[in-house]
Amino acid sequence: MSDILLQAENVGIRFGGLQALEALNLTVRDKELCCIIGPNGAGKSTFLNVLTGTLRPTSGSVRFLGHDSAGLPLHRIARLGIARKFQIPSVFPNLSVEDNLKVARWGAPSPVRPVGELLELVALGNRAATLAGELAHGQKQWLEIGMALAIEPRLLLLDEPTAGMTPQETLATAQMLLRLKGEFSIVAVEHDIRFVRALNCETLVLHQGRRLRSGPFHDIESDEMVRDVYLGRR
Amino acid sequence: MIARDRNWLLIFATCVALAIIYPFFAGGYQLTVIRDALIFGLFAASLDFFWGRTGILCFGHAAFFGIGGYIMALVTLNDAIPFGSLLGIMGAVAGAAFVAAIIGYFLFFGGIRGSYFTIVTLAMGVICQQAAVSWSSVTGGDSGLIGIPPIEFDLGGLHVDLSQDLPSYIFVSAIVAMTVLALWLISRGRWGTVLTAIQDNEIRAAALGHNAPLRLLVTFVLSAAIAGLAGALYVCMAGLVAPDLSGLLLSTEVIVWVAVGGRGTLLGPVLGAIFIQRAQQTISSFNPSLWPLLLGCVFVIIVFVLPDGILSIYARLKGLFKGRRRAQ
Amino acid sequence: MDFLITTLLNALTLISILMLVGLGLAISFGLMNVTNLAHGEFVTVGAFAVYFVQSIGGSFWLGLAAAPIAGAVVGCILEFAIIRHLYSRPVSTVLATWGVSLILQQGLELTFGLGAKPVTPPIEGTLDLVFTVYPAYRLILIGIAMLTLLGVILLISRTPFGLDIRTVIQNREMAEGVGINTRRTYAIAFTFGAAIAGLAGGLVAPLAIVLPQMGVNYLANAFFVVIVGGVGSIGGLVAGSVFVGGLTSILNYQISPSLAQAIVLLAAIVAVRLRPNGLFNGASR
Repeated sequence: MSDILLQAENVGIRFGGLQALEALNLTVRDKELCCIIGPNGAGKSTFLNVLTGTLRPTSGSVRFLGHDSAGLPLHRIARLGIARKFQIPSVFPNLSVEDNLKVARWGAPSPVRPVGELLELVALGNRAATLAGELAHGQKQWLEIGMALAIEPRLLLLDEPTAGMTPQETLATAQMLLRLKGEFSIVAVEHDIRFVRALNCETLVLHQGRRLRSGPFHDIESDEMVRDVYLGRR
Repeated sequence: MIARDRNWLLIFATCVALAIIYPFFAGGYQLTVIRDALIFGLFAASLDFFWGRTGILCFGHAAFFGIGGYIMALVTLNDAIPFGSLLGIMGAVAGAAFVAAIIGYFLFFGGIRGSYFTIVTLAMGVICQQAAVSWSSVTGGDSGLIGIPPIEFDLGGLHVDLSQDLPSYIFVSAIVAMTVLALWLISRGRWGTVLTAIQDNEIRAAALGHNAPLRLLVTFVLSAAIAGLAGALYVCMAGLVAPDLSGLLLSTEVIVWVAVGGRGTLLGPVLGAIFIQRAQQTISSFNPSLWPLLLGCVFVIIVFVLPDGILSIYARLKGLFKGRRRAQ
Repeated sequence: MDFLITTLLNALTLISILMLVGLGLAISFGLMNVTNLAHGEFVTVGAFAVYFVQSIGGSFWLGLAAAPIAGAVVGCILEFAIIRHLYSRPVSTVLATWGVSLILQQGLELTFGLGAKPVTPPIEGTLDLVFTVYPAYRLILIGIAMLTLLGVILLISRTPFGLDIRTVIQNREMAEGVGINTRRTYAIAFTFGAAIAGLAGGLVAPLAIVLPQMGVNYLANAFFVVIVGGVGSIGGLVAGSVFVGGLTSILNYQISPSLAQAIVLLAAIVAVRLRPNGLFNGASR
């Protein structure tokens, strides 16, 4: 059991009278790739916030490498080896692409990948000197993935990495992640089914804050209930 | 990026060259005028180092200038303290840094940024001036302390005596040049880049592992320490210290020097300080209460007409010509 | 016993003034996100209005009526000429309003000359309150301030305009969507805050040293009221005023005023560190 990186057990969150999450379990093993999907409002982002330790669950526990990370300052969480890509692209608009990656590397306890390699990994090799604020939307998302890579994470959490991307960019992003698979664990929250299909990995389906199904994606995809939820029949 | 660095170094070298040849053309009085203006230029550069890199405006920076000045005065006026000049400078720098560290700790780690920070520092400035006036047994009250001796010390066999105009001018110019160069190197390097990142998006910078409050605090403390140094130098050159040196008007003026000279350029604020003080002396000789009135107008004009300082006129003209060429 | 009551009443006087000055600031700084460093000048203008009316032979009460009008006029001009153009540029707002503050101070000095201006209270003498004797005018001041605050609460909670303000504050886009003219609402709210600050200036004029530079102290203290109390509620305003005003009054008996100010500043900074959202809103983050 020593290869368990992140373990969420029986996690529940209550905002006042609203039960946002209920009895969720998730185990992420070292170097594993998994997805959390669900329709809008299913509680995906809230669950991700619990996993990163920015939100403390009202019941249950989240342990990263055996430690409780809830309530730690952001920079400490980062130094534990948890990298996060936010839903809204949040790069540093007044710095060049290269400086964005440098800032990310400097924050890391022991950066390995040089900036040049990071630039190639996220397909921005020819935009190194461009101000990040001037990048196209999809490129900003990639730059952010690159910045998350720069801190050499044990675990990369992606919040809707393909939001607002064209179908081609979505596919390219999936391929980017598949290339990185095996270097560290990745948890991606998505509602774009094409993207998850391209990744074809362990998938947890959320619906109204609860687990609806979990398992390999091809099992999930053929599940009647999941289809119902996505098509809005329930 | 590289072209911008080269331009900066070119302007810096030109300024240094001008400072070197100036004594060959100017008399003693003119030297002291420029020398005092340069000290205020150093003060402006210290504010710019913080404001320009973090985007957070300190509205009571004169408090640190005044703290430095009073500590320097008290140490050098006390005959019981040996090595007065050196200890005084060290005490001035340490005292200003200490106050900044305490206030900065509570503010930055308390999540205070932006306008809130500006207002708390504004109040800090008001209080420092009041303290200087009312704590008269130590500070001399409204009239301040007089008879502060010029800087004089021995360092490694070198005897430094700044009672004459030329040596003091050279000493001040050298300190200003070295400090501005050092601050520039810091702000274009790793430290400054991360500060820009924090200014852009502090939460994101923290999520990448950067301790943003600590970095802001250290920058603020360094900025205050240099302001304290400028204050210490000034009182030795002027021979007196008064509550005005920590007052709101000086805090206001230094913001104008930075804003007019160009925020974030470090060199611009030094030049801004020199030129605006010349203008101030001319205008105040007509009517002393005219100056604050004009200062107020300058604030409004900067905001609406020249948000990037006087140097931006050049950049704008260049952009205009470029645009025209492209249009043709 | 009488010492205690006197201290309490002195504190209440200061708290009343701080609440009135802080109210306008709570609107502009707390709700509109505008850092107006010329807010102290509304107080100054109000005090000068009373002085001016008295100096041409008018009564104090006439002057007190003119004070909020003077504050409103200056506030309205400031909003139209400067602030509304800078809603998206916070640092520029700070610089420009400070410029206006300097211009107003020097303008007053050039118009009315150097030196403190005398303002006489409408009633001299003291009132016997069984436990202590207290200056009658101060009691009137406290009464007017409380009535004004009550009026503001009713205005915001009971009138259509109050509803507009609350809507705009909660969600500007939404308010525009349902047809509220947010620009006009902001302008009126700002002018209203300036008028209340002007009234505070008029009220305090007989007790204070009326100088063109008098606004700065009220500015700093009023900002502390808003920062310490937390923005967005009358409760926060009252809590902040009680904290700043109460502490200042108590300390003023023990130590010199400037040291008292320094301690209040430090206490405010520490309070903000411990309760970042204000004393009143401290419980929920």
